[in-house]
Amino acid sequence: MNARPLLSGLGGIGLFLGLWQLIIGSGLIEYDFLPSPWAILGGLWAMLGDREFYEEALHTLAATLGGWVIAVVLGVGLGALLGSSTTCRRYSLASVEVLRPLPAVAFVPLALLLFGFSLQMELLVIVAPALWPSLINTMEGFAGVPQRLSDVAASFRLSPIERLLRIDLPAAAPSVLVGLRLSLSLALVMSVVAEMVGNPQGLGYGLVREQQALNPERMFGYVLVIGLVGVCLNAILVMASGWILPGQFRRPQAGWDTP
Amino acid sequence: MSVAQAPSPVFALRDLGYSVSIREGVREILAGVSFELAEREILSIVGASGTGKTSLLRIVAGLVAQSSGELSFRGVPVSGPPLGVAVVFQDYANALLQWRTVAGNVLLGIERRFSRAECNDRVASALSLVGLERHARDYPWQLSGGMQQRVQIARALALAPSVLLMDEPFASLDALTKSSLQDEMLRLRDETGASFVFITHDIEEAIYLGDRVAVLRGRPGTIAECHPVGLGRERDQVGTRAAPEFLRLRQHLHGAIGAHA
Ligand SMILES: Nc1ncnc2c1ncn2[C@@H]1O[C@H](COP(=O)(O)OP(=O)(O)OP(=O)(O)O)[C@@H](O)[C@H]1O
Ligand SMILES: [Mg+2]
Repeated sequence: MNARPLLSGLGGIGLFLGLWQLIIGSGLIEYDFLPSPWAILGGLWAMLGDREFYEEALHTLAATLGGWVIAVVLGVGLGALLGSSTTCRRYSLASVEVLRPLPAVAFVPLALLLFGFSLQMELLVIVAPALWPSLINTMEGFAGVPQRLSDVAASFRLSPIERLLRIDLPAAAPSVLVGLRLSLSLALVMSVVAEMVGNPQGLGYGLVREQQALNPERMFGYVLVIGLVGVCLNAILVMASGWILPGQFRRPQAGWDTP
Repeated sequence: MSVAQAPSPVFALRDLGYSVSIREGVREILAGVSFELAEREILSIVGASGTGKTSLLRIVAGLVAQSSGELSFRGVPVSGPPLGVAVVFQDYANALLQWRTVAGNVLLGIERRFSRAECNDRVASALSLVGLERHARDYPWQLSGGMQQRVQIARALALAPSVLLMDEPFASLDALTKSSLQDEMLRLRDETGASFVFITHDIEEAIYLGDRVAVLRGRPGTIAECHPVGLGRERDQVGTRAAPEFLRLRQHLHGAIGAHA
């Protein structure tokens, strides 16, 4: 990896924060509840002394990862099935196309009705939307395995399991991993949403609580932490992908953007 | 059936036809294809591009079923890829596993069947046969096209197959590597007694390697002619290619490939 884009990127962020600090500090613009970056850093520092904050972070992390694992197991499993069988695809693609575009937030009221203010509710809100990127990308990965590779598998008389493990799964892996990453960032977003409106725990709840307590420094502190968690989770997964596919893929990786 | 019957041929095709459905209806790709492949025989099949050579090879390999006619392997109707038959595909880039090293690719067909030591032996000797022993740990995309094709050939050889079906295997090789692999193939046939269906569009190669040369022609494609090559089993790159029989056949086949059925 080249360090230069990273440095320039950090420079850009630094410039933005500097400007923000300057504008607020000089009193050029004055909002009651728009703190300067320096003040937010202070709020963050105070939060770090709270035991509560760590519990909240742990809760959000656990809910995100738990929901993500469920979404991935379902998504990759179904995606592999739909991707390898034209018949399955023919009968279910219509349902997929109807269900998938449902806005993720629309699940919140339903989940609340079903489970009340609880972890189950949060998991449902996470899993229902986070399922799709894994499912769609896995399906496309499996459907895109070249005919010739199927020929090779058949001609070497591989059993269905061997074929899955040695040919289909590795051939689809780059695509599957993109799906896993998209699902993960979506899972984090949805866990925060669920905590903001439903399950009164976690970083999302902390954010709303500080907002209602008119504590903008801390509120922004929560926003910052949530952002950092997202960046770290994505980075870990990118690193893991690089480790699983040790650079031997000619196929260029798709962009890193989130939905 | 008489008792003292000749042994059944390796492959026997009778009046074989193949068609696929496309948007506008049905496309006939092959029709009325008949031939037999004998033990230890190299049957060359030449034909212009798009006459159905690859389709024919996939049918013979048991990868796709014919639409009509009969296909049998050692007397048994083919219903899937038979044991002991290895295929070298035309499009090596798609046929190799890009996520496995050269050695890993060669292992694909044998890793479940033999001990680790036996596998290592087979990989090493297959790779040295195609001159890639120094690239065992490279990935396919780190090799040139011709080297990738040789990986595919090594992968087929590692199986120690009794029949090799090869689809323009030497098309992307330089002249020197090509003739060395051609001679390697002839030697292999003598040593192991394997039989070959050798598809090519290179007429000289077809004659040099073949015991017989069949011409695939027409639309739908069919075996229009089949000529025994009267050059004996011993071939050499200089002498054989200058023999009168070689030149005669070459001239004839040049006309035959493009002729209208
Ligand atoms: N699945 C398919 N659907 C429609 N047409 C097909 C299909 N497979 C093959 N064909 C057609 O069949 C014909 C023969 O194809 P094939 O690949 O067997 O030719 P070939 O002799 O191997 O050509 P080349 O020398 O270029 O490799 C072509 O005209 C091709 O368009
Ligand atoms: Mg072809």
